[in-house]
Amino acid sequence: MNLRPTLKFLGHLLMLLAAATAFPVLCCLWYGESQAALAFVTTAAVTGLAGWILHRAGAGEEDGELYRREGILIVVGGWILASVFGALPYVLTGTIPDPVDALFESASGFTTTGASILTDIESAGRGILFWRCFTQWLGGMGIIVLFVALLSELGPGARFLYKLEVPGPTAETFRPRVHDTAAVLWRIYLLLSGIEVVLLLLAGLDLYDAMTHTFSTMSTGGFSPRNASVAAFGSPLVEIIIIVFMLLAGINFSLYYGIRRHRGQALLADPEFRVYVAITLAASIAITIILTTQGSYEHLPRAFLDSLFQVTSILTTTGFATADFDVWPNLPRVLLVSLMFLGGCAGSTAGGMKIMRLVVGVKAAWREVRLIFSPSSVLSVFVGGKTVPENVVRSVAGFLILYFACWAAGTCLLTFGAADLETSSSAAIACLGNIGPGLHAVGPTQNFAFFSSWQKLVLVVLMWLGRLEVYAIAAVVSASFWRR
Amino acid sequence: MSERFAVMGAGEVGFHLARTLSQEGHSVVVIERDPAKRDRVEEALDAAVVVGNGAHVPVLKAAKVDKCDLFMAVSSSDEANLAASLLAKRLGVQRTVVRVGVVNEVTTHRRLYEDTFGADLLLSTQLLATTRILNHILGHNTLEVEYLAQGKIQLRRIHVEPGSVLTRKPLKEVRMPTGSLVVAFFHGEKLIIPSGDDRAQPGDDALVLCKTGVITRVERMISTRQQRRGTVVIAGGGATCESVARALAKQVHRIKIIEKDRGRARELSRQFPRVEVLHGDATDSAIFRAEKVADARALVALTGNDESNLMACLLAQDLGVPEAIALVQHTETSALWNKLGLIHVVSPRRIAAERIRSYIRSDYSANIVSLQRGEAQVLERRLEKASPAAGVTLAEIKPPKGVIVGAVARGKRVFVPRGKDRLQVGDLVILFVQEEHVPTIHLLFPGREGS
Repeated sequence: MNLRPTLKFLGHLLMLLAAATAFPVLCCLWYGESQAALAFVTTAAVTGLAGWILHRAGAGEEDGELYRREGILIVVGGWILASVFGALPYVLTGTIPDPVDALFESASGFTTTGASILTDIESAGRGILFWRCFTQWLGGMGIIVLFVALLSELGPGARFLYKLEVPGPTAETFRPRVHDTAAVLWRIYLLLSGIEVVLLLLAGLDLYDAMTHTFSTMSTGGFSPRNASVAAFGSPLVEIIIIVFMLLAGINFSLYYGIRRHRGQALLADPEFRVYVAITLAASIAITIILTTQGSYEHLPRAFLDSLFQVTSILTTTGFATADFDVWPNLPRVLLVSLMFLGGCAGSTAGGMKIMRLVVGVKAAWREVRLIFSPSSVLSVFVGGKTVPENVVRSVAGFLILYFACWAAGTCLLTFGAADLETSSSAAIACLGNIGPGLHAVGPTQNFAFFSSWQKLVLVVLMWLGRLEVYAIAAVVSASFWRR
Repeated sequence: MSERFAVMGAGEVGFHLARTLSQEGHSVVVIERDPAKRDRVEEALDAAVVVGNGAHVPVLKAAKVDKCDLFMAVSSSDEANLAASLLAKRLGVQRTVVRVGVVNEVTTHRRLYEDTFGADLLLSTQLLATTRILNHILGHNTLEVEYLAQGKIQLRRIHVEPGSVLTRKPLKEVRMPTGSLVVAFFHGEKLIIPSGDDRAQPGDDALVLCKTGVITRVERMISTRQQRRGTVVIAGGGATCESVARALAKQVHRIKIIEKDRGRARELSRQFPRVEVLHGDATDSAIFRAEKVADARALVALTGNDESNLMACLLAQDLGVPEAIALVQHTETSALWNKLGLIHVVSPRRIAAERIRSYIRSDYSANIVSLQRGEAQVLERRLEKASPAAGVTLAEIKPPKGVIVGAVARGKRVFVPRGKDRLQVGDLVILFVQEEHVPTIHLLFPGREGS
């Protein structure tokens, strides 16, 4: 283990985080919240100092090469540190005095989960609510990827870091250098975010609402500075804009790069994209039918818009709400929980298992079925006309097992105390899938405040597991990782 | 400005090139046939890998060679490299470098290969290694060699050490062997075209044009090192051995070659009648003692096996041979070899990679003369009837300062012309021209480049 370069890198990461607090400081000053501004400046100072100490501790080693283990440690450590230091403003402003609660809120932000322990969101200051959404935006495309995009001299180690943070079974690089790839990703992300802000402004939102909601949409996070989430605006136009951008955020970002070269054919030809669109439409239509026939909805357009919004919000793991789906009939609720497991496309900002893994997993399972009655046939797994390498198939199978194991373990731990099975199982997947709201006691109009402190920590770990897709964290806790 | 490169072949040359280029912040795409090597490249380098044969168009297209500043075909297959270079050129790559194995391609037919396959730089790893090995054995200071007039003339960049005759006397007093000519000095970044009163500064490089036959005399004259007398033993009789033996044959009075394979040994003995060819294992100390290798002045281990070369050199050093030179293909461990006391490790692939890097650094001037960012060029011109220079003596042409008529190849004869020599139609004239005089030369010697 090469600890020094790891510490140095983490130090730089913290300094970057300290620099990022400049944005909420500006916001606080704009709205005249001087105390909150002071809290952010203190956070920046503490974070920056910690970063500098790590930087010094890691300085002075010539062989600063990053290998696999260092890469894993950096990504896991980076996410933990970001969540811990990102919690400081909540404590310092007094919005969330309890440190565990603050950590929960912060981790929920960076991992783009969107689960909250705040009972009355609007009572918090504007600056702190800006920070809440801004952490989601940073975490959406990824803090490590941002780092790789900003620094060009990381060398081959950058490739591991990139692959560890970008979700999906295979992280594509569409430029020879990872640094360039990461820079392109962030540029696309910035561009889409910019367009959404402008559209929301045109739809009548003020700049603050437009920016905060853009942050949570493009990162598929789901934090809103409003108690009623997106429903607060009561504007179908705003809802449609947010639906579109949630969908866009759930698409593999490398496809956007392809659009420039192949004029959209790459998008339509992508098998994962097709499944993604098909699932969204099928689920929305099914729920619309149920809601109009069995539920309380009378107007078909309203029912369709609500179901489309909720389906998109859950499938892309955003977690915004325009309707309380917890009061819907049972079938739509079950459907939505199933969607929680899926998540968006690989290489997007969405959480969950990723549709690519579902496609590969199902095809691999079907291959096993064929091998039962025809054991001597040699079969490859094809997706979109291309063979999936066997090591990817293996990694998908392993992932699915670990993912469900995490969910099951989380559910068990959460049932201690007040929570019933529906609440605890949906809370576990809502955090593991980085979605946010679940069912019953953690439904869209409820919050996570009632869990005990240690259960909140369990949920935080689930969020990290979901964001980093299990493997990296599982590696760090395995004993052989540390053995020399 | 970061550039984009494509490297075909992730072997020793390609891997080394890809690594240094990507470390310098350039975009690198590696084309490799063997899928198993992909992981090794991706693990160690920040570079994209395209798996496939570089001589196939879809593979070249997948690597987006049309966007590349330079395509380097350095795989181990000559044919694939040449075909890939041709295709890459057609697909729109700016420049290509092609590595070939065999020496003759580069010394004799360089122009033909470069014209046919669109290669901007043709390299032979073997040839580069041979030059380096000869430097060690003969005490030469040659940094680079350029082959002109189908290999009959060489342009050598020779390092001038303190105390060399070139630093002691002005050029007109130095009696250079007939058939040789000092055409330039490199003083740091500057290129100087010397007149008779100039002399070299210690540490400069001299650019010398010479007929193949007088190389040794030129080198010996410029070098300050004493040449040792005695036998040179070559262990391993492969292709590199052949080219080393051929170059040494005229200069060393005794050469012994130890070759493991009996058939190959017989073939070598037919090829080199004056060389003593022994059948035996180069790592066998018995044959070393029996053949009195201890008395040799140098041992060159050129077998295809790194470990055998190491063993042979250690044995020779143990017996007291003053100079041991080992050919090493895998360079990762060469630092370790130096620790074992082997001073001269020659790695052909590493040298090739360095040569390509210097080509890139020089803004793609393939000639060693134009290393100084295109200040000067070497031109080869065939005299046509229409040429004003045909039938005129050199004194009558009066080439301006900055233009040197370096050599003339007439039929089989090659010579360095003097003022009274008359140029004839059909002569191949080798010109050394400063950049500003290139248009003049196009008027004086119309026609195309070529051999």
